[in-house]
Amino acid sequence: MSDRDEPALSMSESASLERGYRRLLACYPRWFRQENEEEVLAVLMTCAQEDQARPSFEAAADLLKGAARMRLRPRPGQPRTVSAAVRLLYLGALAELGALLTIIASAGTVKAAVAHGDPAGVPGASGRILVDEILAPVVIVVWLCLGWAIGRRRDAARIGVTAFFGLITMTMLAALSADSPVYATADFAAGMVLWLISLASMVLVFTPASNRYFRPESAPMVSPAG
Amino acid sequence: MQEATFLILTALAAGTQHGYGIISDVADISGGRVKLLAGTLYTALERLRTDGLIGVDREEIVDNRLRRYYRLTPAGEERLAAEAARLHSHATAALRRLNLNLAGGVA
Repeated sequence: MSDRDEPALSMSESASLERGYRRLLACYPRWFRQENEEEVLAVLMTCAQEDQARPSFEAAADLLKGAARMRLRPRPGQPRTVSAAVRLLYLGALAELGALLTIIASAGTVKAAVAHGDPAGVPGASGRILVDEILAPVVIVVWLCLGWAIGRRRDAARIGVTAFFGLITMTMLAALSADSPVYATADFAAGMVLWLISLASMVLVFTPASNRYFRPESAPMVSPAG
Repeated sequence: MQEATFLILTALAAGTQHGYGIISDVADISGGRVKLLAGTLYTALERLRTDGLIGVDREEIVDNRLRRYYRLTPAGEERLAAEAARLHSHATAALRRLNLNLAGGVA
């Protein structure tokens, strides 16, 4: 039973089915495809039904789910510190997106509250909200790019993570030194979460295990005793 | 341990198997209840290889297609034995209690 041959498919059916599977397998990370694509394809073709010319919905959904899981998994040889940093950087993007949605959803309430307490402060509050709404998408892209680059072993990205942490720190200090607006508490809490995520990411990419991963040639040589 | 993982390791406990062989064997072991799809199988195989529970035994080319055979490693055998013992212990406890309850109901 385990030595089943591929089902009888016409040349065009077989070629069409294989093309469909290859398109789905393209969603997997490159390292996985290099290692496994031909083998997975052989299994998929063996599992095909007679006269099948396209991947079934069930098989397609299963492959897409597998691709998503594989992309979230550490690459072979990647230390846990680096994979944790990648996940944190993506989490930072998600947190920033949450903050942006909160800003958009609460903009009207904030403006009303400012108008109630200090009508003259409305233009300033509106301007600050607008700046946040413009900057947040840019910051989300930065989080994503850093996560992507760290995951692909780009050493320069570690400098980027450090610079980004410095930028977030300065933004936080600037916000703390300024007069607090009405929504200061929530704003401060969101800022602290993002600051802690960037701090943890920076620490993780500079651990000894991460250093050996990013710069294997400069790892300290252990001289033999004696 | 997830059921699919347990069944894959069980399929490999009898000897080396290639991808489609594992799918067939898992269906047999589970009485046709668990039908692994390729995406699920290779996600599990990749994780098991990373964890050192299985390894690649050999590769063959059959009808111009790559066929890779997997085998259990000693760590995989140990892990499967531990998981089987755990499940056996739970099943035994469940059956014993059911029998006791049945006996109590009859008495």
